[in-house]
Amino acid sequence: MTLAEYKYADTIHRCFRCGYCKFPVNWMDVNNCPAYARFRMETYSCGGRLWLTKAWLSNEIDWSEHLAQILYSCTACKNCEEKCPLRFNVDIFNMIQAARAEMVERGLVPAAVKEFLENVQRHGNPYGNAREGRGEWSQETGIEQYQGQDYLYYVGCVGSYDTRAQQTARTLGKVLLRSGVSFGVLGSEENCDGNEVNALGEETLFEMLAEENVRKFKDLGVTNIVTLSPHSYNAFKNDYAKYDGSFPVLHYTQLLRDLITDGKLDVSGGMNARVTYHDPCFLGRWNGEYDAPRQVLSAIPGIELVEMEKNRESTLCCGGGGGNFYTDFLGGSENSPARIRVREAATTGASVLAVACPNCMTMLEDAVKAEGLEDKLVVKDVSEIVGEVCGIG
Amino acid sequence: MDIIACIKRIPDTSEADTIKIDPSQMSIEKGSLVFKINDWDEYALETAVQLKERTGGSLIAVTVGPKEWDDVLRRALAMGADRAIRVDQDMVAADCHSVAIVLAALTRSLPYDLVLCGAQSEDFGCGQLGVMVAEMLGVPHAALVVGLQEEEGKVRVDRELEAGILESYTIELPALLTIQTGINRPRYISLGGIKRAMKKELQVMSPGELGLTAEMLAPQVKLERLEFPPRGKEAVLIPGTPEESAEHLASILQSAGIF
Repeated sequence: MTLAEYKYADTIHRCFRCGYCKFPVNWMDVNNCPAYARFRMETYSCGGRLWLTKAWLSNEIDWSEHLAQILYSCTACKNCEEKCPLRFNVDIFNMIQAARAEMVERGLVPAAVKEFLENVQRHGNPYGNAREGRGEWSQETGIEQYQGQDYLYYVGCVGSYDTRAQQTARTLGKVLLRSGVSFGVLGSEENCDGNEVNALGEETLFEMLAEENVRKFKDLGVTNIVTLSPHSYNAFKNDYAKYDGSFPVLHYTQLLRDLITDGKLDVSGGMNARVTYHDPCFLGRWNGEYDAPRQVLSAIPGIELVEMEKNRESTLCCGGGGGNFYTDFLGGSENSPARIRVREAATTGASVLAVACPNCMTMLEDAVKAEGLEDKLVVKDVSEIVGEVCGIG
Repeated sequence: MDIIACIKRIPDTSEADTIKIDPSQMSIEKGSLVFKINDWDEYALETAVQLKERTGGSLIAVTVGPKEWDDVLRRALAMGADRAIRVDQDMVAADCHSVAIVLAALTRSLPYDLVLCGAQSEDFGCGQLGVMVAEMLGVPHAALVVGLQEEEGKVRVDRELEAGILESYTIELPALLTIQTGINRPRYISLGGIKRAMKKELQVMSPGELGLTAEMLAPQVKLERLEFPPRGKEAVLIPGTPEESAEHLASILQSAGIF
């Protein structure tokens, strides 16, 4: 593909690298682009990536491993789209995604991205774990296989396989059982939702996953979906319609809020804790849902909800989006976004850092350990906080 | 340069605990396994594709196996092979000699300057196939190649010896090389690329078409049974918190005289 064939050939040159893409809403610093915060080089900022993409597609620079790493260090957090003052801002991530798609087609992706995508091709998850083990997290929980219940509880790859995120998946399942929600899971029949595959630019693999999932959901008579992960929520809500899959979908924080409001989930037991909440990018900036998780936390007596300086539209990404929870292009430094984020959380005086995404959970919990903050700050999923309040382990 | 790349389809055993031996003890249970190109062969393919990109000529990917092995040839076509040939014969997995007879016969029927094989397979790991084919063809070979530079009518190759020592040769073409992992970084094969490669030619031949009879392919190796190695008794799991287990481990190492 040449620049002339690139879908965004008419707009990509309009970025003049004003640098606004790196700011949070209140302009307090220039570190709200996770990759820029990590490397502090213009090439790793959104503007840098756009200029490099244009130079690569114009044959002004050759492809290199370094160029690929720079493009894949973007976590798809959309901070740039939030802050860019130009009209093309709605397409900024699409521009990166299209450049990645070209790298995928040429086979020129970083080794970690190749591994991620090959694992999804073969095993239906980025870890390369066996498909038949996908449902093991729900053993001895009483959670049933989906067979026409009101909700399909879609767990996603991280919740299904990551040991820590499995705990969250189990707790949410038990909370839903306690609330009397009619739901089931797909277990070993569940497949990757493809959200990260799409972000990594593997369009055909994403199409295949979406088509297979839509077919499966329809065959099973799925009417409503509730997701553990905001990444799955985003794919089902915004991308599956193209594949004839318009299923009503909720992120679990929205369902928990409704259950509390309707009196079906009793959180009156309360919890005495100062809690700060980290917005996941795929729930917040991608889908505008900032309130539901806060409403759940605020409904719990005894919880003092305090905000980090960077919150809602200004949230600093945990660094795990766009497959980076696996590819880890932003790890290994005290400037890794997850570490910056947990330091910020600690300054609020909160003892609990609440998350609503299994990717954020794994990234931020590791960062708490790396920062030596284990005695001050515990990372808990919103569902786990609710579970604790309800006496569910 | 005209190149032939020999590839094998093997089970993905990255999850070792998913491997189970079937009741006959002659095979593993394949029902839930996924299959892929043998790792070493993927490096050989990448080497072949890069050579073709630099020198022109043709690249043919070949394999010996039943119909389901077509999937690895499709991936080879997506990677850059011009065409693919599968010799339709379900070989005894461990019998490199018979596979080598088939590959040698097939190679003789094709134009080639260079034959590339992976240095070994991930499943049986014999490491003999490429060298046997070279001997049968009567062409020079080098095994465990980690570097390759083409020259007029010959190739310069680096072989990997122990302790990081490299051995360099100039080899007249036609020749056969077995490729070691790490010689390059095999490209990603996109699903779109595989779909487009469906249009490329994938030829299926029988051993008979190559003049081979059942007697000629009689296995030289008889598989008696598969079994897992006996579990070791020396492993010790050290329980406790990281601090406790580190202290315990240190005392074990100290009493063993390691420090």
